Amino acid sequence: MRTESGKGGLARNRAKIMVVDDDPDLRQALSLRLRANHFDTVNVCDGYSAIAMAQKERPQLIILDLGLPAGDGFAVLKNLHEYPALAGIPVIVLTARDPEANEKRTLEAGAIAFFQKPADNEELLGAIRACL
Amino acid sequence: MEHEPAHVLLIEDNPGDADLVRLRLVESKSDVHVNCVPRLSDALACLDVETPALVLLDLNLPDSHGAETFRRIRQKAPNVPVVILSGQDDEVMAMKAVHQGVQDYLVKGDVTSKQLERALRYAVERQGLLRSLEISRQQQVEFKNRFLSHVSHELRTPLTCIHQYVTLLLDGLAGPMAPDQTSHLKTVLKSVNQLHAMIRDLLEATRADSGKLRVEPRCIDIGELIRQAVAMMRPAAAEKHVGLEVGVDQTIPLVYADPDRALEVLINLIDNGIKFTPPEGSVMVKASMVETDPASVYISVSDTGRGMPQESLPLVFERLYQDPNAVDGNRAGLGLGLFIAKEIVALHGGRMWVASQQGSGSTFSFTLPLYSLAKLLLPVIVDQGRLREALVLVRVELTPLSKSLRGSWKETCARCLDLLRRCVYLDKDLVLPPLATSGPVETLFVVASTDMGRVSVMMERIRGQVGALPQLKAGGTLQVTAEPIPVPAASDAMTLEQQIWSVADCVAEIIQRGLCSGSNCSEKENQEHAY
Repeated sequence: MRTESGKGGLARNRAKIMVVDDDPDLRQALSLRLRANHFDTVNVCDGYSAIAMAQKERPQLIILDLGLPAGDGFAVLKNLHEYPALAGIPVIVLTARDPEANEKRTLEAGAIAFFQKPADNEELLGAIRACL
Repeated sequence: MEHEPAHVLLIEDNPGDADLVRLRLVESKSDVHVNCVPRLSDALACLDVETPALVLLDLNLPDSHGAETFRRIRQKAPNVPVVILSGQDDEVMAMKAVHQGVQDYLVKGDVTSKQLERALRYAVERQGLLRSLEISRQQQVEFKNRFLSHVSHELRTPLTCIHQYVTLLLDGLAGPMAPDQTSHLKTVLKSVNQLHAMIRDLLEATRADSGKLRVEPRCIDIGELIRQAVAMMRPAAAEKHVGLEVGVDQTIPLVYADPDRALEVLINLIDNGIKFTPPEGSVMVKASMVETDPASVYISVSDTGRGMPQESLPLVFERLYQDPNAVDGNRAGLGLGLFIAKEIVALHGGRMWVASQQGSGSTFSFTLPLYSLAKLLLPVIVDQGRLREALVLVRVELTPLSKSLRGSWKETCARCLDLLRRCVYLDKDLVLPPLATSGPVETLFVVASTDMGRVSVMMERIRGQVGALPQLKAGGTLQVTAEPIPVPAASDAMTLEQQIWSVADCVAEIIQRGLCSGSNCSEKENQEHAY
């Protein structure tokens, strides 16, 4: 039974999404779009801060770039799994890297979905809603 | 001497000739160790154990003759220089061998020790040069591919940024836009999308070049795929006032092709058609069968554009080809689209060609193979000229955690297919190509030819390995069931071919029934109830 009230419905609690990307412009654009779609956002710029921030903020979902300073996306996926409290947070990978070489690997490392940049906004939002 | 061959393998069946060569080598005072064998089989065994600096070869041996002798040696030791020892009368054959990669040939009995020594030294030297040329060529190709892949990745990041902010503005997330502003931004977005497509093409062409382009054929309805492609291209056609028509022969059987790749080819051809057709013209997509080639479907995309001069036709599928007469605002793109399309078709075992006349449009055509269950089943169900006694159809049904994760779901299904192939006994079982389903449930089938004991072991392996896929572990479901396939008893009334057809029909029927009673249909019913 589907009970959701349509896209961006206000009936939904504001879920908190953590955006991990080293490009400040991209982080900002993505946050703007997420907030416009009634999500709260937390932004971090590297792999190390991602784990620290996840522990502090306990986001409901993480959008993760792969090429990051201080621990790349694969290291973040691995580290998340080492903390029981963080292991269950769904991770969507959003990267410029080639899916052929990376999609399988990220899914094996525990990510729930893979998108290559530039991703279709509606498809990405659809995947986010599906995880929450 | 600097480049002394340390170890020479002499392959010569005539003891007299062998002794003579040995003698000449000793006279030349080269510091060589000669290992002499009389037969090709002995030589191949030696090459297994040790790589000599050089092979001296008589082409005519008790167990091999002529060019074939050299081919076998080359196959075994591709980097070892080979010098032929020929008789007076077989210089033609020796010359032929030189064309195939032999370094030199010496006429037996005519060789002085000095000549021999020099020939060997030069042969080793030349082979070394060739080898380093080949290595440097490979490095260049590798570098080019890495460079292109790196560049296209780096281009994506700023492109993503432009895409993000343009769509933010267009969606009104930064405040309302005036109509003019919206229109200008749409132009920007269109260019962003073109740039995106070019980057994709660049990577695809690199993959095609290095043989890494892959296709995953399935059993598909080509008419449906053409309608899908046409629906996607309709806005572009309407914008240019170009008509877009479909003529699909309704009787075309299922086709065996990768639906994503085939769609890519169709879209590429239709897009080109629209691009090169003036307003009020039309583009026609057709699919039909041809009597002379009953195993393929013929698909064509014709336009009423300017057409091309005959001398351009052989060039259009070349990389980086661009129409020199492209006019007004037709941005040509990178000129990789048709090259990639042709490669994709070739990977399916099909052909692609073009016919055109200047002033009266162009027709691009390609073929795709028809899906034949009997042809796929043949190697598995027949053993020593007879049908196997017991056959089982195993059905593997995956239901995802959520339908919206479609991108990843596709990957999950692809990985499931990989795993299935690892779970079966390759010589006796067959994983059938997936059927293109539009529903969220993926149903895969395995034909197993065996007793039930082995099938249940295989089913357990499937449950264990496929069930461990992250999406299924996270809450999706997996069902594995088996159903026996009736095997017609051997009789005089039916030829083997008829028996195979009968089994193929049964399998097709069970699959059909399975798909209808399975979750694909019940999902549809659920949806109907829900609305």
